[in-house]
Amino acid sequence: MVKAGGSSVGESTRPRSGALQSVRGWALVRSALGKTGTLSNANYGMLLSIPGLILLLAWVLLPLFIVIGLSFYRYDNVSPVRFIGLLNYQEVFSNPDFPKILLRTFEFSFGSTALSLFTSVVVAACLNRIGSGSAVFRSLVVMPWAVPLILSGFLWAWMFHPSFGPISDLLLRSGLRDTALNIYEDPISSMVGVIIADAWRRIPFLAIITLAAFQAIDQELYDAARVDGADSIDTFMYITLPLGSRPILIGTLITLMFTFRSIDVIYSMTPGGGYAKSTYVMGAYLFDNLYEFLNFGAAAAISVILILLTFVIGSLFIYYTLKRQ
Amino acid sequence: MRLRPFLLKIIDHRVTPYVIVGVIALFMAAPFLWMTLSAFKTLQETFMSPPTYFPKDFTLETMAFTWFQAPIPTYLKNSLIVCLTATLIIVVASIFTAYALSQYPYRGSNIILGLFLFTRTIPPLAMLLPYYLIMRKLGLLNTRLSVILYLIYLSYPLVVWLLKGFFDAFPRDLIDAAIVDGCSRTGTIFRVVLPITAGSVGAISVVAFLWAWNEFFAPYLFIHYDELKPITVGLYYFVGDEVTYWNRMCAAGIYAVVPSLAFFLIAQRYIIKGLTEGALKY
Repeated sequence: MVKAGGSSVGESTRPRSGALQSVRGWALVRSALGKTGTLSNANYGMLLSIPGLILLLAWVLLPLFIVIGLSFYRYDNVSPVRFIGLLNYQEVFSNPDFPKILLRTFEFSFGSTALSLFTSVVVAACLNRIGSGSAVFRSLVVMPWAVPLILSGFLWAWMFHPSFGPISDLLLRSGLRDTALNIYEDPISSMVGVIIADAWRRIPFLAIITLAAFQAIDQELYDAARVDGADSIDTFMYITLPLGSRPILIGTLITLMFTFRSIDVIYSMTPGGGYAKSTYVMGAYLFDNLYEFLNFGAAAAISVILILLTFVIGSLFIYYTLKRQ
Repeated sequence: MRLRPFLLKIIDHRVTPYVIVGVIALFMAAPFLWMTLSAFKTLQETFMSPPTYFPKDFTLETMAFTWFQAPIPTYLKNSLIVCLTATLIIVVASIFTAYALSQYPYRGSNIILGLFLFTRTIPPLAMLLPYYLIMRKLGLLNTRLSVILYLIYLSYPLVVWLLKGFFDAFPRDLIDAAIVDGCSRTGTIFRVVLPITAGSVGAISVVAFLWAWNEFFAPYLFIHYDELKPITVGLYYFVGDEVTYWNRMCAAGIYAVVPSLAFFLIAQRYIIKGLTEGALKY
């Protein structure tokens, strides 16, 4: 009887206090979201960004820690997983091809970025002067942005084909070359080929940024400079470039980071690294360890090295982005 | 100094910018032209040397074959499901975070902002391995969900950062006026901020969609069933051991580009405006 009563009391009070608590919690959320606004603005901001922060933690920081952790383990899908300290890094660094792989990575990323930057500046300078029809040209120039990189690699691979592709054929017909152009039989031209295919897809982004930077420059500056006797070369060198330099710099750093880590074009255009591994870059080395050799430990170590190298470029990007704010 | 007047004469000529932009536009358009023309060639014609430019035996068979015989519609369907879902999740999640970071800064919100910026410097390639292991652990390999989860990682930091730029530029007076008029802080987001920035938010969504559409390595690694592959991985259907079916590859390429190009062209005005505003903030 007493027991039953006791339990009935417990049953009757516990849900009530639980309900009360949840009501209070609900009131807190309501006051945060509703008009009553008992939360300070700062706390409101914190509450509002909690879901996003969880996403950041779970989706970005957790995998980041996993890959850093894995790089200290032997994980080759053959022998049991075991902590081995820095041996994975030692294996990667002692690979006799590693310096070449690193060099090619820089060649590819700087080459593609330089080509994109040059083309973007030229396009933007021209579009800036064209009044009518510039929208049509602009659309044409930014269209490749909608093409997947992997497809860009396939298309250019065929366009560069020595016998069935149009580029070699056009060079032969125009008399610029006597023999068919085979970029796949020469290390330097292989690299140039993948750089062109990659830059083709990178130009739209940088061109938009550059054009925006140029168009934001006050027209009166040009008029004033003209009055003072400056010609087009002067105004371009001393007004257009310096005043447009910041957005262009940020855009260039973003492009550099992207090209540094992107291997889509290389993978579809020169599978396996191409002639004499001439297009075999860090990303390809990483993906081979991950996909072909199934050496996850080494892949993790290369991943960490790639993260650190990209961060060198990335820190410049972060610095210049935050500097202005 | 005789070179300079000569150069100036060329540079200042009315036609020069048109010629230069024309040449570059041709370079940018060339792969599109080659792809479109080749999609109407027969397989024999794609292996002719010297190559033909306009299809000699114009045929619709290649386009029909890739659509009806090859699993292109399936690939496209997978790409659309995966990319649209990921984009929706990313944009909805990003709006609130970006808005909070922009309008209601709190202790440490700058550090979080820096963290988002840092995240953009992490190479997605380096995250393939942890994501592969996580998906294997969760039993999600060979599901569309695995790719969706990876795509969220891929563009979430970028979208937050771009959106924050828009919200920074949003006139503070409008928000204050709405709150004075009795609108709640959350109500202000839905009734004032989002309706006005809808174009920009849409543009950012398209950018996130294009990133997702472009992604190749994650689905390549996670998915091995043909019926679940997205179109980027599906292109390998036409790469054989002996021969690459270039005409079919080009036809498939057209099908792969049409949806992303359509989205892009519709939103182009907003994307350029959005990136422009973002760029000038730097």
